[in-house]
Amino acid sequence: MLESAELYFNVDHGYLEGLVRGCKASLLTQQDYVNLVQCETLEDLKIHLQTTDYGNFLANETNPLTVSKIDTEMRKKLCREFEYFRNHSLDPLSTFFTYMTCSYMIDNVILLMNGALQKKSVKEILVKCHPLGRFTEMEAVNIAETPSDLFSAVLVETPLAPFFQDCMSENTLDELNIEILRNKLYKSYLEAFYKFCKNHGDVTAEIMCPILEFEADRRAFTITLNSFGTELSKGDRETLYPTCGKLYPEGLRLLAQAEDFEQMKMVADHYGVYKPLFEAVGDGSGGKSLEDVFYEHEVKMNVLAFSRQFHYGVFYAYTKLKEQEMRNIVWIAECISQRHRTKINSYIPIL
Amino acid sequence: MGSMFRSEEVALVQLFLPTAAAYPCVSQLGELGLVEFRDLNASVSAFQRRFVLDVRRCEELEKTFTFLQEEVRRAGLALPPPEGVLPAPPPRNLLRIQEETDRLAQELRDVRGNQQALRAQLHELQLHAAVLGQGHGPPVAATYTDGPSETSPLLQSLGDPHQDLRVNFVAGAVEPHKAAALERLLWRACRGFLIASFREAERPLEDPVTGEPATWMTFLISYWGEQIGQKIRKITDCFHCHVFPFPEQDDARRGVLQQLQQQSLELQEVLGETERFLSQVLGRVQRLLPPWQVQIRKMKAVYLALNQCSVSATHKCLIAEAWCATRDLPTLQQALQESSSEAGVSAVVHRIPCRDMPPTLIRTTRFTASFQGIVDAYGVGRYQEVNPAPYTIITFPFLFAVMFGDVGHGLLMFLFALAMVLAEDRPGVKMAQNEIWRTFFGGRYLLLLMGLFSIYTGFIYNECFSRATVIFPSGWSVAAMANQSGWSDTFLAEHPLLALDPNVTGVFLGPYPFGIDPVWSLAVNHLSFLNSFKMKMSVILGVTHMAFGVVLGVFNHVHFGQRHRLLLETLPELVFLLGLFGYLVFLVVYKWLRVSVAGAASAPSILIHFINMFLFSRSPTNRLLFPGQEVVQATLVVLALATVPVLLLGTPLFLRWQHRRRRRRHAGPQPVEDEDKTGLLDSPDAPAPGWGSDEEKAGCSGDQGEAKFVLSEVFMHQAIHTIEFCLGCISNTASYLRLWALSLAHAQLSEVLWAMVMRVGLRLGREMGAVAVVLVPVFAAFAVLTVAILLVMEGLSAFLHALRLHWVEFQNKFYSGTGYKLTPFTFTVEDE
Repeated sequence: MLESAELYFNVDHGYLEGLVRGCKASLLTQQDYVNLVQCETLEDLKIHLQTTDYGNFLANETNPLTVSKIDTEMRKKLCREFEYFRNHSLDPLSTFFTYMTCSYMIDNVILLMNGALQKKSVKEILVKCHPLGRFTEMEAVNIAETPSDLFSAVLVETPLAPFFQDCMSENTLDELNIEILRNKLYKSYLEAFYKFCKNHGDVTAEIMCPILEFEADRRAFTITLNSFGTELSKGDRETLYPTCGKLYPEGLRLLAQAEDFEQMKMVADHYGVYKPLFEAVGDGSGGKSLEDVFYEHEVKMNVLAFSRQFHYGVFYAYTKLKEQEMRNIVWIAECISQRHRTKINSYIPIL
Repeated sequence: MGSMFRSEEVALVQLFLPTAAAYPCVSQLGELGLVEFRDLNASVSAFQRRFVLDVRRCEELEKTFTFLQEEVRRAGLALPPPEGVLPAPPPRNLLRIQEETDRLAQELRDVRGNQQALRAQLHELQLHAAVLGQGHGPPVAATYTDGPSETSPLLQSLGDPHQDLRVNFVAGAVEPHKAAALERLLWRACRGFLIASFREAERPLEDPVTGEPATWMTFLISYWGEQIGQKIRKITDCFHCHVFPFPEQDDARRGVLQQLQQQSLELQEVLGETERFLSQVLGRVQRLLPPWQVQIRKMKAVYLALNQCSVSATHKCLIAEAWCATRDLPTLQQALQESSSEAGVSAVVHRIPCRDMPPTLIRTTRFTASFQGIVDAYGVGRYQEVNPAPYTIITFPFLFAVMFGDVGHGLLMFLFALAMVLAEDRPGVKMAQNEIWRTFFGGRYLLLLMGLFSIYTGFIYNECFSRATVIFPSGWSVAAMANQSGWSDTFLAEHPLLALDPNVTGVFLGPYPFGIDPVWSLAVNHLSFLNSFKMKMSVILGVTHMAFGVVLGVFNHVHFGQRHRLLLETLPELVFLLGLFGYLVFLVVYKWLRVSVAGAASAPSILIHFINMFLFSRSPTNRLLFPGQEVVQATLVVLALATVPVLLLGTPLFLRWQHRRRRRRHAGPQPVEDEDKTGLLDSPDAPAPGWGSDEEKAGCSGDQGEAKFVLSEVFMHQAIHTIEFCLGCISNTASYLRLWALSLAHAQLSEVLWAMVMRVGLRLGREMGAVAVVLVPVFAAFAVLTVAILLVMEGLSAFLHALRLHWVEFQNKFYSGTGYKLTPFTFTVEDE
C-alpha cells in the first residue's frame, strides 16, 4: 500500500485531528490529580474541576451534588465532543466512529435486556445507558424473546446487525444466554473492527491493530476468569473468545482448558506482553487487581497512539483516555463522598 | 504630561486592613482603581482560601441570575442596562438579595412550570383532536382499501363465533422524524397482524417546550389479537408516541371531538391568565436583575481580591500587598481611612522595599492613548524606561505622511478623523460594536494627525489627487527659452520634446518658494527628478531618526545610573552611525548647496565617493567635493571601525572589573560601606525622590554582584548587541528607503487612476458633447476607487510601514519593552 496518508489525510481529517489533539492536551495532569485527592468534599472537587478544562460543567446542577450527577455530566460532555467529531467526519473516519459506538450499543442492548428480565422499568435502565451507545430502537429491545427475534425485529437496521450472524438462536433469553449473547456480539464486533482497521492500512492499522489485539486478549482473559465455577462448558467458552488477538490460536486453546487463575497465568507466561502484567497483579490483600493492570496497559497504549500522526487511532485513544479519566474522577469522588480515603490514590494515572 | 516621558514611580505598599473594615476598604479601592494586588497565597489552592465560602455564595447567586436572565431572554425581552452608581453591597445585604432572588426564581419556576404543564395539556388535547379529526374518514377507508382480502373474510364469514377476533385500534401521534422507523419496526415485529396508516396532521402544532412548530404524524393501527396489541403498545411506548382512545363509532368520535374542543378553549383561557402573570413576574425580574448582577459581580471581585491577602499572626487584620503609583499614595491613604472609619480601627498603608521590577504605569489621555497603544503593541516598557510614545506622536504621522503625501487624500483623511473627533462624545458612536469601526474610532487622533501631515507633505510634493497646483508662479520660464533659442513653428512641429536649459539666462529664475515646482508635472523626466529627491530625503530622515533613537538611550543610562554605558555604548554607537551615514547625509546636503547648474555636467557622484570611501581608493573621473575630502573620509572610516571593538569589549570588561572590585571590598573588613545596601534599607522609611532609580541601581548591581556574574553570558549578550547594531545601521538605513518606494507607489497609483478614469471620462464627455451626463458615473468610479484603493489600501500599507520603521528601526536603538503593565483592581469593567 502506498504511504499516501500523509499527503491526503489533512484534506479530510486534518481539522478533526487537530481538534482531538487539542482535547487531549486538556486531560487532567498529575498535578490536577494531586489537588483532587486533597479535596474534602464534592463541592471542593467541583471548584477544582472548574479550573481545569471541564469548566463549569456542573454549574447548572442543583444541590446537593452527588457522584452520579458528576458522572452523568462528564459523560454528557464527552458525548458532546464525540458528536461534534462525528458530525464533522468524512467517510472512512465516520465508519470508524460508528465502529467505536458499537461497543457502547452492545452494552446498552444487554443492559436493557437484563433490565427487562428483572422486570425493571425501561426508564430506570435508560438512565444507566451510556449516551454514546444510544439509538432510536434501543428501547424496543424488551419486546424480543429470542436472539433471532431481537435481530429481525429491532436491530436489523442498526450497525449492530452484521454482528448477529453467529448468535441467531431460538433459545429464550435468560441471564446466561444474555451473557453469552453479549460475548458473541462483542467477539464479532471486535473481529469486524479489527478487519476494518487492517484493511484500512497505513498508520491507522499500525496503531489500531495492537490496541484491538490487546482488547481481544483482555476479553479472553476476562471471560476465562469469569467462567470459573459457572456452568459454561469449556467448548462453549472457546467459542466466545475473540480471534483477533495475539493469543489466537494456541493461546486461546490453552486458555479454554484453564481451570483456575494459576493455569491462566501459565498461559500468559508464554507471551512477552502479558507476562509482566500478570506478574504485577498483587494477591488478595494489597496490590493491584488484574483489571487495574489491564487498564494501565491500555492507557499506555492509548497515550502512545498520540505519538504518530495521520491516523484514526487518536480518536479511539482520546475517547478511551477520557473514559479512564472519568473513571478516575468518579473513583476519587466516591472515595471522598464515602469518606473512605485509604484507597483514594489507586486511580489509574494518565501519563 | 511629565508622566509621558517615562513610566510613573510605582511603589510596593503593604495594606493592613482590620478584619471588620477589609471589605469596605477593598470595595472602595475597586471603585477608585488605584492598586494592583499581589497574590500572597499563590501556593494555596483555590478552595483552601479564606473567603472561598463567600465566593461560592456569590457564584450560587450568579447561577440563579443566569437562570433568570435565560428566562427573560426566552420570553423575548431584553434586560435594560443598570443605571446610576452601584457600589458593592455590604455583606449583610447579600442575604437579602439572595432571599429575594430565590423567591423570584421560585415564583418564576412555579409559573413557568404551570405554563409548561398547561401547554403540554393543550398540546395533548390538540394532538388528540388531530388524531380523531383524521380518523373520521380516510384511515378507516384506508383499512378497507389496504386489506379487504384479510379483513372482509375474517369479519364476515367467521363473524359471530369468533367475537375475540374483532379488529382493535390503536391511534396516536408520533414525532415526524420517528414515523418511518416506527412504521418499519411495527411491520417487522408483528408482520401481517396489523394494518397501520400514517398521515401528517393537518396543521403544525407548537412544541410545548421549545415553542417551535412541528407537523406531527398521526397514525391509526388496526390489529387482531391481544398479544399483538401488547407488543404494539410496547413499541409505541418506546417511541414516545401519544396514544389516545379511539372510539369506533363516528358519532362517539364526533362527541369526543366536541368535548375536546370545549376543553381546549377553557385551557387556552387559563393559559392566557398564566402568561399574563408570567409577564408580570418577568417585568419584576427585568427591573431588579441588572443592578443585582452588577452588585454581586463587584462583591465577588472584592472577595477574590481579599482571597489574595494573607492573615496577620493575631487574626486581627488582613495584610495585602499591592503596587500603587507614588502619586496616588495620599489618595489611597485617604480612601482607606474613610472606608475604615466605621470599624473604629483604621487601615494602614505602608511602603515596603522590593526587589521585583515594579509594573509600568503610563497615564494616557484620549489623545495620547492611541500613540501609547502603538508602542505597547510592540512591548510594554520596562519600569521607568524612556517612553517612545511622546516622540511617536510627531514622527509616526510624519513618516506616514512622507509615504502618503497628497493634499487631497490627506484632506479626506483629516476630515474623516475630524468628524470622529467631534462626534466622540455621542453615545451612539461610543457604543458601536462593529470591530472594524472601533479600530478606526480608537485611532481617531492618530488619523487626524496623519491626515494633517499628509496635507503638508502633499504641498511639498505639490500633489492634489496627483495633480500639481500652481500657488506661486513657476520658477521656470518657457517663453525665455523660446525667445533665446528662436524656436520656429516648424521646429516645434518636428520636436515633440523640448528641453529647458537652466544655463540660458532668464529660463531658471530661482527655486520655487515651497515644495516642488509645478512645471515638473509637465516634464517627462518628472519621475527621475522626484526619485533622486525622495531617495535622498529618505536617507536623511532615516539617519536623523536613528540617531535620535541612540540619543534617547542616553536618558536611560543616566536614569538607571549606568554611566559607563554612556561612554562604552552610546558614544561608540553615535560615532559609528554619524561617522558613516551622518557623513553621507553631509555629502548630500553639501552637494545640494555647493554644486550649481553651471557645473552640472561635471558634478561629482556621491555614490562613487561613498563606495571609494570604504575601499580607500579614488576614481580619477570623479571630482572631489571639497578639498581634503580623502583625509576626512579615511579618518571617519578608521574611527568607525575602531568603535566596534570598544562596543564589543567595553561593557563586559568594565562589568568584570566592577565585580572584582566589589568582591574585594566584600572580602575586606568594612561591609558597612556598601552604599547600595544602606540606601535600600533606608528607603522604606523616608521615600526619597530618587528612590526609584536607587532601587533600580541596587537591584541591578545586586543581581549582577550576588547572582553569580557570568562573564561569558555578558559577552554573548554584548556581542549580539554589537553585531545587531553595526549590521543594523546598514540594513536599517536601507530600510528607510521604503519611504521613497511607498511614496512613489502612492503617487504613481493616483496618477494612473487620474489618467485612466478621470481623463478618459473628460475626453469622452467632450467628444460626445454631454459632459455632465458622462461625468457622473465616471466621477463615481473615481471617487470609489480613490477611497478604496488610495485611501484605505494604500493608507493601511503606509501605516504598516510606518509602524515597522518605528518598532524595528527606531525602538531597537534604545527600547527594551520587557516590562508589564500595572493592572489595577478596578470595577470599571464591571460597570460597563
